[in-house]
Amino acid sequence: MASIKLNKITSVWIISVLLLFIVSIVLGILMRLNQGEVISQSPITFYSNMTTHGLTMIGIWFVAGMAAVNYIMERYVKTSYTVNVLALVLTVIGILMFWASTFIGHFHSAWTFLYPLPFKEMGSETWATLMFLGSLTVLGIGWLIWSISLMTQILKKYSIPQALAWQHLRKNPTVETPPFILISMITLIGVIACLLAAVVLLVLFYAEYFSNGNFVNDALLMKNLTYFFGHTIANEMLYLGLAVIYELFSEVSGRPKWKTTWYVALAWNCTLVFILTAFFHHLYMDFVQPQGFQIIGQLASYFASLPAAGVTVFSIFIAVYRTRIKWSLTNLLFFIGVIGWVIGGLAAVIDSTISNNIVLHNTLWVPAHFHTYNAMGNVLFSLGFFYWFSIQFSDKTKVKKSTTLTLALLLIGGIGFLLAFYIGGAESIPRRYSIYPSELSIGASLATIGAAFASIYFIAILIFFFNISKRCLKILFSSS
Amino acid sequence: MFKNIVFIILTISFLKTTSAQTVSPSLKEESDIYEKIYDAPLILDETQPTPLHELYNTKPLLVVLIFTRCTGVCNPFLLRLKESLQFKAKKDSFNVLVMSFDPRDSIKDMNLLARRFALEDNNQWIFAVTDSIPKLNQSISFYPVWDSIRNQYDHDALLVGVNNEGYITKKLIGMRGGHDLDLLIASVNNVFSPTYRLPNKNVLFSCFNYDPKTGKNKLGLGLLFIALPAILTVLILIVIGFSVRSKASELEESS
Repeated sequence: MASIKLNKITSVWIISVLLLFIVSIVLGILMRLNQGEVISQSPITFYSNMTTHGLTMIGIWFVAGMAAVNYIMERYVKTSYTVNVLALVLTVIGILMFWASTFIGHFHSAWTFLYPLPFKEMGSETWATLMFLGSLTVLGIGWLIWSISLMTQILKKYSIPQALAWQHLRKNPTVETPPFILISMITLIGVIACLLAAVVLLVLFYAEYFSNGNFVNDALLMKNLTYFFGHTIANEMLYLGLAVIYELFSEVSGRPKWKTTWYVALAWNCTLVFILTAFFHHLYMDFVQPQGFQIIGQLASYFASLPAAGVTVFSIFIAVYRTRIKWSLTNLLFFIGVIGWVIGGLAAVIDSTISNNIVLHNTLWVPAHFHTYNAMGNVLFSLGFFYWFSIQFSDKTKVKKSTTLTLALLLIGGIGFLLAFYIGGAESIPRRYSIYPSELSIGASLATIGAAFASIYFIAILIFFFNISKRCLKILFSSS
Repeated sequence: MFKNIVFIILTISFLKTTSAQTVSPSLKEESDIYEKIYDAPLILDETQPTPLHELYNTKPLLVVLIFTRCTGVCNPFLLRLKESLQFKAKKDSFNVLVMSFDPRDSIKDMNLLARRFALEDNNQWIFAVTDSIPKLNQSISFYPVWDSIRNQYDHDALLVGVNNEGYITKKLIGMRGGHDLDLLIASVNNVFSPTYRLPNKNVLFSCFNYDPKTGKNKLGLGLLFIALPAILTVLILIVIGFSVRSKASELEESS
C-alpha cells in the first residue's frame, strides 16, 4: 500500500507533467501554424520553440513513466521517498534552466543538439549553450540517481537473474518474477545505459567548450552518443508505460493478474539487448560508419521492438477477445495506447529499414511515427495511469458520456494530426522546415490541417488536465 | 638608413613568400563549388556562337582550360586527360569542353589542336573559344598571369566539373589520377561522393581514422566511448547486485 507521502509526490508529478504538456502542445501547434503560414515566427523563434517542444516532451513523458513505475513498485519493494523528491527538485531546476536557455537565450539546436550545432548557434545569447548543457546535466543527474535507486530496490529482493526472469526460460521456475518487475528492470537498465551515454556526451561537450580550441570532438562519435542517449531514452520511456499496463490492465478490467511466461521473459530480454544497438539506424547516411553497424542497426530495430510488441499485443488480445471486460477510462486509454504504440512502431520499423530510409530519411514520416507512439501511445499509457491514480480514492470508475466525448476528441484530433504528418512524409516533405518553399506548398497546407486537428486533441487534453488535476490537488492537500 | 630599407624589403619579401607557400592548392579547389559557371557564348565553328548552357544542358561537362601556343603544361595535361578518360566506365555520361583562355586563339587554332590529338572526330570532345574570357575565368576563379619574357601564360592545369544545371560541382588542379577523375565524373552526374575531414591533432577520440594514402579507415579510440555506457551499466548492475545481496545475507546471518 502506497504511503501518504508517495501519494502526494505522485500527485505533484502528475500535475507538473500535465501543465508542461499543455505548454508544449501550444508550442507544437504554433510551429505547425507557422509552417502553414497562418502566423509568422522568426526562424530563431521557430527553432527555439522546436527545441523546447521536443526536449520538454521527452522529459515529461519519461518522468511520467518513472513516477508511475515508482508508485506501483511500492507494491513489491520499498522505494526511496528522498530520491523521488530529489528527482522532482532536479527535474524542476533542469526544466527551468532549459527553458531559460531557449525562451530567454534563444538556444535553438533542436532537442537532438547534434554536434557541432550548439557551438555554431547564430542569433542566440552567448550563455545559452552553456545553460542548455547545464540543464541537461542537472536533469541527467536527477534521473540517473532515481533509476539507480529503483534498480537497487529491485535487486534487494530479486537476484539479477531473477529480476530478469531467466528462471522462466526453464521449466517449473521456483521463484516467480512479476511482469511488472521484469519490464521495470529491463527498462531501468536501458535508462541507466542511455543516461551514462549522455554523461559521456556532456563531458565531451564541456571539454571542447572549455578547451579554447585545444580539444575538438569527432562528429561521428558525438552523433553516435547523441542517438545512444536520445533514441534509447525515447524508447525506454514507452517501456515504462508498458510495465504499468502489464500491472494494471488486468486489474482494472477485473481479470486474473498477468504472469510471466517463457516467451514474455524471452521477448523482454531481447528488448534489453537489442534496444541498446538499435540507435545505429539514425546513422544510415553517415557513410564513414562501417556497413556492419548499419546492418546491426536494422536488425536490432526489428529484434528490439517486434518480440516485445508481439507478446504485449497477444496478451492484450487474449485479455479482451470474447471476454467480459469491466471497461473504464483507464483500460480504454491503455487499449487505445497499445494500438497507437503498435502503429507508430510499425511506421518506425518501416523507416528503420535501410531501403526505405533512403526515401523517408528526414521527411515528415519521422515526426509522423514518433508522434504516433508518443501522442497516441505513451501519452495515453500515462493518462491511463494518471486517471487510475486520481480516482483511487473515489468510486467513479464507470465510463461517463463526457468521457466518451473526450475520448472521441482525443481520437479525432490525434488521428487527423498524425495523418497530416504521414501524408507529408509520403509526399517527401522534409521535416524541420520553419516555412516551406513554393515547390513544397503541400507541406504548408498539411501543416495547417495538422494544426487544426492538434487543436481538437488539445481540447481533450485540457479536459483531462482539469479533471485529473482537480483530484490530484485534493490528494495533495488532504491530511490522510 | 640604407640597411634599414634593405631589411624592410627583405622582411616583406620573406612574408610574401611564406604567405604564398601557405596557400594550398587543395583550398583553391574548394572555391566556387555549387556556384554557376558563366554562361559564355562559345564559338564552336564558323556559325553563330552557342551559349555554354546549351552544352551543359545536353550533358554534364568537364571543362579544360588551355591555350594553343602553350609550351608548358597544356599539351601533357590534355594528353593525360585523353588517356585517362579512355578507360572510364561511364564515358557517355559527360562531355569534355576544351576552352582556350588566350584571346589570340581562334576556332581554327583549336580545331588544329583537336586534330593533333586525334580528337577531331570524337563527339565527346568539344573545342571552343569565346570572347568572354575574363567573365568565364572569374566565374571559376582561374587567373592566368601573362609572362611577357617567355611570351607565355603562367597558369594552373585546371579541370572544372559542371553539372547539367551549370553548377560547378568539383575542381581539380594539376594532372590528377584516375580516382580523382572518378570523383569528378560522379560529381557532375550528381552522384554522392564521400569526403573525409582533414587530420587534426586536436581530435583525440575519433571513431575511425582515415588514411588518405590507402583510402582505408582504421578503428579509433572513439569507438570505446560508444561502448563505454553499456560496459559501465553492466558493472553498476553487477556491483549493486552483489553488494545488496551480500548485505542481505549478512543481516540474515546476524538475525
